[in-house]
Amino acid sequence: MQLPHTNVSLWVEKQVTRLGDLVSWIWLVLLATIVVNVVMRYLFGQGRIEFEEIQWHLYAIGFLLGLSYAYVSDIHIRVDVVREKLSEQAQAWIELYGIVLLLLPFVILVLYGVIPFISYSLETNEVSEAPAGLPFRWIIKSFLAIGFLLLLVATIARLSRIWCFLFGWPHVSAVQEPHEESN
Amino acid sequence: MSSGDILSLLMFGSFILLIFSGFPVAWVLGGLAVIFTAIGIVLRVDFHLPIAMDWDYSLLVVDRIWNVMNNWVLVALPMFIFMGLMLDRSGVAQRLMTNFVRLFGGVRGGMAVTVALIGILLAASTGIIGASVVLLALLGLPQMLDKGYKPELAAGTVCAVGTLGILIPPSIMLVLMADRLAMPVGDLFLGALFPGLLLGSLFILYILAIAYFDPDAAPVPAGHEKVTVRLILEVFLSIIAPAGLILAVLGSIFFGVATPTEAAGVGAFGATLLAWWNSQLNLDVFRSVLQETTKTTAYIFAIFLGATAYSLVLRGLGGDQLIEGMLKSMPFGPTGIVISILVFTFLLGFFLDWIEITLIVLPLISPVVVDLGFDLVWFTVLFAVCLQTSFLTPPVGFAIFYLKGVAPAGMPVSTIYRGVVPFIVMQLIGLVVIFLWQDIVTWLPAQAY
Amino acid sequence: RSYSSKTTASTVTVTERARIHWRVPVAFSTNLPALGDNILYVSDKLNRATNGRVELEVFEPGMLIPAFSITEGVRDKKIEAGYTWLGYDQGRIPATPLISAVPFGMEPWEFTAWYFEDEGRLLTEELYRKHNVHPVLCGVIGPETAGWFRDRIESLEDFDGLKIRFAGLGGRVLQKLGASVTMIPGGEIFQALEKGAIDATEFSLPAVDEMLGFDRVAKFNYFPGWHQTFTAEHLVVNLQTWQGLADSDQELIEMACTAGIIRNLSRGEGIQGEVMKGFPAKDVTPVRFSDEILRQLEALTNEVLAEEAAKDQDFARIWESQKKFIKTYQNWKSHAYLPRDF
Ligand code: NA
Ligand code: NA
Repeated sequence: MQLPHTNVSLWVEKQVTRLGDLVSWIWLVLLATIVVNVVMRYLFGQGRIEFEEIQWHLYAIGFLLGLSYAYVSDIHIRVDVVREKLSEQAQAWIELYGIVLLLLPFVILVLYGVIPFISYSLETNEVSEAPAGLPFRWIIKSFLAIGFLLLLVATIARLSRIWCFLFGWPHVSAVQEPHEESN
Repeated sequence: MSSGDILSLLMFGSFILLIFSGFPVAWVLGGLAVIFTAIGIVLRVDFHLPIAMDWDYSLLVVDRIWNVMNNWVLVALPMFIFMGLMLDRSGVAQRLMTNFVRLFGGVRGGMAVTVALIGILLAASTGIIGASVVLLALLGLPQMLDKGYKPELAAGTVCAVGTLGILIPPSIMLVLMADRLAMPVGDLFLGALFPGLLLGSLFILYILAIAYFDPDAAPVPAGHEKVTVRLILEVFLSIIAPAGLILAVLGSIFFGVATPTEAAGVGAFGATLLAWWNSQLNLDVFRSVLQETTKTTAYIFAIFLGATAYSLVLRGLGGDQLIEGMLKSMPFGPTGIVISILVFTFLLGFFLDWIEITLIVLPLISPVVVDLGFDLVWFTVLFAVCLQTSFLTPPVGFAIFYLKGVAPAGMPVSTIYRGVVPFIVMQLIGLVVIFLWQDIVTWLPAQAY
Repeated sequence: RSYSSKTTASTVTVTERARIHWRVPVAFSTNLPALGDNILYVSDKLNRATNGRVELEVFEPGMLIPAFSITEGVRDKKIEAGYTWLGYDQGRIPATPLISAVPFGMEPWEFTAWYFEDEGRLLTEELYRKHNVHPVLCGVIGPETAGWFRDRIESLEDFDGLKIRFAGLGGRVLQKLGASVTMIPGGEIFQALEKGAIDATEFSLPAVDEMLGFDRVAKFNYFPGWHQTFTAEHLVVNLQTWQGLADSDQELIEMACTAGIIRNLSRGEGIQGEVMKGFPAKDVTPVRFSDEILRQLEALTNEVLAEEAAKDQDFARIWESQKKFIKTYQNWKSHAYLPRDF
């Protein structure tokens, strides 16, 4: 389904894509951390809990910030058995209802619940429960909020595109698409 | 039937219905969690029905997502995805397949058999289906389609073989089961090895049979070379590197250099070295591999997050008790009970994912099975095979979803649905065989330790 | 909170008391003997004693909430109560190891004496009031094993470079000795130990460790459990929920938990001997650390405890209270009991 772009969606999707491109390098850092940890422990008997914890920190940041990145690329899995037989108009309506009734409520629920989750961590100055684990746990917990906020923004951008497709408003942006739809 | 039971059933039903709308599966799961929380609250507050549901409870979803975030075992998933993409982009995967085809090209279905064999090897190094399926799809799917294989056969092979990763050790599923049943994970690992190999062999037999009876499904490429010693040698030399990589992953686990989680990182590192060795490593390759890793990882985890919200709310409505009640009301003798538990699990697998089934059903039935005098390792492995099948069964088959994400654009889910059907039949045959010959499971653990 | 239910309304209404139905997630699988099964005893007793009016619905680890998050969930009232090992909170509440398991700490009954007869209970409740949680001591077991080792430990130097999975303050002590301490997930311990990715692991009581199969892949089981002389578990209840209970219901729950403590201790003590009797047949050697090693571990433990006390006021206060009690109790302990070789 080809959706038109609006000024909002153009800007948002460009920024989300840019950030996602940047965040992707995290896998290289993760890879290096694992290899260094294995080599240090196996060859030098120097395993470090910090290195183990950094691994899941990196991976969590990667997949959380990836949610919105995958969303603007429209790569989230759909069962298209019925969908492919529907008109573009019908697909757009389904997308509209889906976003309003399913996706947005879910994102808002998580964002609502994440506030005490982070503030409690901040209040108590939470550190890892592992011996000599990493400090400042609120930072990694904040990425849950950041990931879902980005998803919220990307969702609204997409909503504007569907709205534009269905009702011709807000107006189609004159600017070219910022990137290829990559699926 | 209580009001909670009815709501649970409605929640099952809505999911099946809504995923066919074509809206992303992950968001259907997450959204239904919110909707049914709301319905539950309205029924409790306004209609005074005994449904223990409130918004505070549904916010547990945040703690459950946190549990996914700090799960060190899952770090392996993006690393295996990276490994697959790197092998693919660097041309190493293609060279591997091309050479195998030179060797098996004359055999009908040779390419699918190759994919199956690589899949079995891969299953021995990763325990996460998402990683296996993505890696195999990148390695084998485009090549099979290029050579004119029917998309159904190609997709079915990748999905089915990909699911073996969760049965053949190491396996995250067996780890969870051992944990739930408080039994040594080593017994389960050894017990699941032969059943895994048996299923792999059944898949290969099916591929060979279909290729023989339906040459269009798996065409033999025109003008393939004659297999000579020289050719075998050449092929052997060319596959040393990638095969060595897979062995390095396996070996690092086997010799205790790395935990299975870390082995994934070692594999990803190895794949990068291979690409560099083949002079295929440049900034563009890096960029595209890394970006695809983010997207693929993200869509798999989106489903995890949606599913964890969905099952939380289903559990809150009393979905567990509903299942429990059904299990306890089965009117059969000992063997009948075990068979019906397995059938029930298999059916449950059409709708629920394996983590939920393991958490809900396994602790419930294992004491019953032990009381009846059955071997717990044998039963748990049978149970594991049932769940492994559930990854394949439409409509909610995670292997199918993962494949859909990396399959060439234009391969609809319906094709994959059709493709997995014969492999599900093979799974069922395998189940029957393991049921009848317990030794397939119990022999190996009895030899070790 | 309590949900009214039509099904329990009996014809002879003895009391008009509100039904209590709590979801209670636990930190350890209930099929782990002593470590995990005590909550089943407590909830069963409550249920029977009240004819089903008070129902604690137990949820296995991870089914509702991860084990490490139980008190946080209780605090925010996402769940009414939970049964957990408070040491899991030490990332947020550094003093919790003192009330859940202390290296070179008290005997189990010494701990309950401090808890009920001295300041323990008051200090624990005070510590958790800030977090909107009411803790009720609900289970205590004796020392755990000091770990499963693939090779013998002859001297302290053997800890240098040893790859070991070890949790809590004890892990900090071993780090001071140069051990490379890891916290690999519970499910991966067996395989890592079997393949030698780690050289040793600590987990729980012999009866629990046996179920997880550690005795098959590591042949030296070390004692005494210096890092954990007692293990205490608490029923944690949301503070408002607790305050909203009738006095009699509070009493009821405390009574069930107090009963749970002695039953838990009895079960833990009762089953280990049989398990260890089976060690020779499995080619497992139980080994005691030498006194010299224990002395040095003790010295390092005191360093770690002092470091913690310097960082956290609550830790300092509770530790002082325990030290004071231990010193007074020593007058009795050193005289009253037979020397252990009798
Ligand atoms: Na595997
Ligand atoms: Na399924």
